[in-house]
Amino acid sequence: MKFDVIDRALEAAGGDEADANFISSDANITRFANSSIIQNMSEVSAELTLRVVIDSAIGVASTTSFEHEAIAEMAAVAREAARHSLPLRDFAGLYRGNEAVPDLPIFHRADITPGEKARALRTMFDRGREAGVHFAGSYGTDTASVACGNSHGVRRHCTFTIGEATVIAIRCGESGYATDISRRGVDVRVLGEEATQKATLRSGIHEKIEQGNYDAIVEPAAIAEVLEWMNMIAFSGQSYEDGSSFFVDHLGKRVVGTNFTLTDDAIDPEFLPFPFDMEGLPKRRVTLIENGIARTPVVDKAYADRLGVPATANGWALGSPDHGSALHLSVTAGNATREDLIQSTKRGIWVTRFNYVNGLLEPKTAKMTGTTRDGTFLIRDGEVVARLPNLRWTQSMVEAFSRIEGLTRERRRTGAWSNPFGGTIAPTMKIGGWHFG
Amino acid sequence: MRPSRQQLQDALKSLRDPSLRYADVRYTATHNQHVRVRNGEVDTLISTVDSAIGVRVLVGNGWGFAASSDVNEDSVIRTAKRALEVAAASNLASPGKIVLSDVQPHVATWQSDFVKDPWAIPLERKIDHLLQATEPMRSDPRIHQASGDISSYRQEKIFASTVGSYIEQTTTEMGGGIEALAIDGDEFQRRTFPNPFGGDFQAAGWEFIEALDLAAKGLQIRDEALALLAAPKAPPGRFDLVVGTSQLALQVHESCGHPTELDRAMGLEISLAGGSFLQPSMLGNFRYGSDLVNIVADATVAKSIGSFAFDDDGVPAQRFPLIDRGIFVDYLSGRDTAPAIGRKSNGTVRAESAARIPIIRMTNINLEPGTTPLEEIIADTKRGIFVDTNKSWSIDDVRLNFQFGCEVAWEIDHGRLGRLLRNPVYGGTTPDFWRSCDAVGDRASWQIWGVPNCGKGDPMQTMRVAHGAPVARFRNVEMF
Repeated sequence: MKFDVIDRALEAAGGDEADANFISSDANITRFANSSIIQNMSEVSAELTLRVVIDSAIGVASTTSFEHEAIAEMAAVAREAARHSLPLRDFAGLYRGNEAVPDLPIFHRADITPGEKARALRTMFDRGREAGVHFAGSYGTDTASVACGNSHGVRRHCTFTIGEATVIAIRCGESGYATDISRRGVDVRVLGEEATQKATLRSGIHEKIEQGNYDAIVEPAAIAEVLEWMNMIAFSGQSYEDGSSFFVDHLGKRVVGTNFTLTDDAIDPEFLPFPFDMEGLPKRRVTLIENGIARTPVVDKAYADRLGVPATANGWALGSPDHGSALHLSVTAGNATREDLIQSTKRGIWVTRFNYVNGLLEPKTAKMTGTTRDGTFLIRDGEVVARLPNLRWTQSMVEAFSRIEGLTRERRRTGAWSNPFGGTIAPTMKIGGWHFG
Repeated sequence: MRPSRQQLQDALKSLRDPSLRYADVRYTATHNQHVRVRNGEVDTLISTVDSAIGVRVLVGNGWGFAASSDVNEDSVIRTAKRALEVAAASNLASPGKIVLSDVQPHVATWQSDFVKDPWAIPLERKIDHLLQATEPMRSDPRIHQASGDISSYRQEKIFASTVGSYIEQTTTEMGGGIEALAIDGDEFQRRTFPNPFGGDFQAAGWEFIEALDLAAKGLQIRDEALALLAAPKAPPGRFDLVVGTSQLALQVHESCGHPTELDRAMGLEISLAGGSFLQPSMLGNFRYGSDLVNIVADATVAKSIGSFAFDDDGVPAQRFPLIDRGIFVDYLSGRDTAPAIGRKSNGTVRAESAARIPIIRMTNINLEPGTTPLEEIIADTKRGIFVDTNKSWSIDDVRLNFQFGCEVAWEIDHGRLGRLLRNPVYGGTTPDFWRSCDAVGDRASWQIWGVPNCGKGDPMQTMRVAHGAPVARFRNVEMF
């Protein structure tokens, strides 16, 4: 039964080759603000996507209706598109390997009822009132099934769970933040306590700083946001092929500091494991940057063929123009604690989270800009001495990751709205000379 | 399968809860087609059809929302039942008394206009159109990418509510644009026409794509991208800044559209999108900009993708000022937020589809034209920089501190446009910037720009909005 829709789509496809995805989801998300539930949603959805290949030209269509006629109509649209499209250069066809996929712990009972969720939130709200804070954020659970297959006999299926919460604690204009995402579910009350600690740290003690370069203690949620941009502008098959990625002409060469290693790791059971990509290739750990040396972009099958690089199993959307996306970014840990990093800093800035980062300023150096939010602190002589206002920063990430002075042993997971399969796991970093201004 | 009016009304009748105060049910069928050519290949050719049903209920003081991509009759009833269950949970931690502003029942059918149906245009014609525009751009080896996009969009929407409304709306849109990406060593430059990120969008048919005349612009943006490779960097410092209509539309979006969303001001979106520096106590008395700055929200503009007949609360589309002669006078609001400031909804609540909960969204947020021709603004500028076409955008969580990068700039020296400049980046704080506006271009420089990808909400919803803007001048702006 789990491949019924896939089989019917492939049967209807025609063409030289075809592959299909069927993704269904039962998602529930509760949003809260001012310590009240303001939006409470439950969505049951399913979508079928079919890709048809004719003479190396590709057409893609999708539908949310799965009756015989709807699938036949979708297949006709995809076929029509493939007939009118043009052959992709160097495309050697859809995946045929059918190797075993890794057996990973991807399903836990993360879905709890809306009532259980509301009661957990009410407990957090009550604790917040005692601390004088109110909360905003979201608390979501999702159970999803993914089936994919192709006309070469490849068939994949899995059911996975996601629990995710983001909490902001606010008191008198001062705020703190905490987030987590997991296959096992999250405890929103624990996040509430963490956000409250941040919101109340050095409460009422405010300083301002001049624009300039500072040592920065950058927490995982902030690192995640810049890495999500780097995924788009530097790691994708498209950015490598069009020449805009700083990986171009630098594979095998040192591009950042030797203490920075970044992988696309969908098989780490402690992260957000997932067994295969949407083209059916088994996931494996792919090293993007190893001890500062650029190793490979991530690619879908078509761009693995075109670029002559090994397939990395990063085709997450059939027909997507990114031609590969790293949805499980994992930064290797160091051996420090966050307190070690703070104590080693003579004058610096501790950043909880970034806001509205944009990575399109100068992609060749991954120069980005953004602001800080929900907990920015001044460090003086190894101590956190004051809260700072939200600060604008503009910084090349190639330069920043060349000046990492310390990494924590502890790593934290961060989700992203644009990433339904994974997220980022990173340590807190101490980075020298971060430009605020 | 499109549900019948009776089926939707049956779903509303099935909501048996003595504390039910309001309910609506929506159905959408959203058709998208995207053709992208890149370096002589068809890089993307995707057609999608998404159907959804969504039921929203207010029970006591708790909202509940449930949605399904299964739109058959049984599913609609099941979805309505789930919405009640979710609302019951919301009441465990509700915000206190929820007040809805009044709305009249409406029974109406509306559709946007088009001349040439996007789906009646053969695929090969769309592909050929893009290839003709982009292939000549590839004549220089420094052009690493010549690409073009044509998008077609249609959404059929049905809305029925316990107020007694039954509204059918259909919007048809097209968008298109081209891009040249030039690289020389470590220098990287991108030029687009008429706008980045898929081009410009209009509530129209193929006639809009024809009018863009992409083939006539390909060589121009190729040449500008190549010239930018060798152009000097736009200098840092303070300059009088003349902002082109395309970039100013983005400035309006980020620094006026978002901060005038009342849900942001009330802290309801603070966890993801952020808040707003514009607080209710500032209504009617806060000087947002100079006397020349008049910004309206107008959901009635013909052929614009921010237009509609009724919002997803069933409130009629409206035109009203947000900034009147520089003074902040109104928010974008919905039925459940407007009472917080003692007003009625001004009809700006929308959802991406029936699968998402309706929230406050921009419509067409327009900077009204002034009286000064562009040529006069340039001639009247002694030492300045003219910037246009957005490249990067960033603004803080209350929409005060912004920084925008543009694709292109020219210096202005003693009233004349001079050298081409690369990588212009400017920044400031929102009220300081708009208060420094001392010239607003006339209607000849005014253009409305379709923005189909405004992100807000959790789960993220991308909304189709638009912004009209002329050129305008801002004194003493910081360039980086």
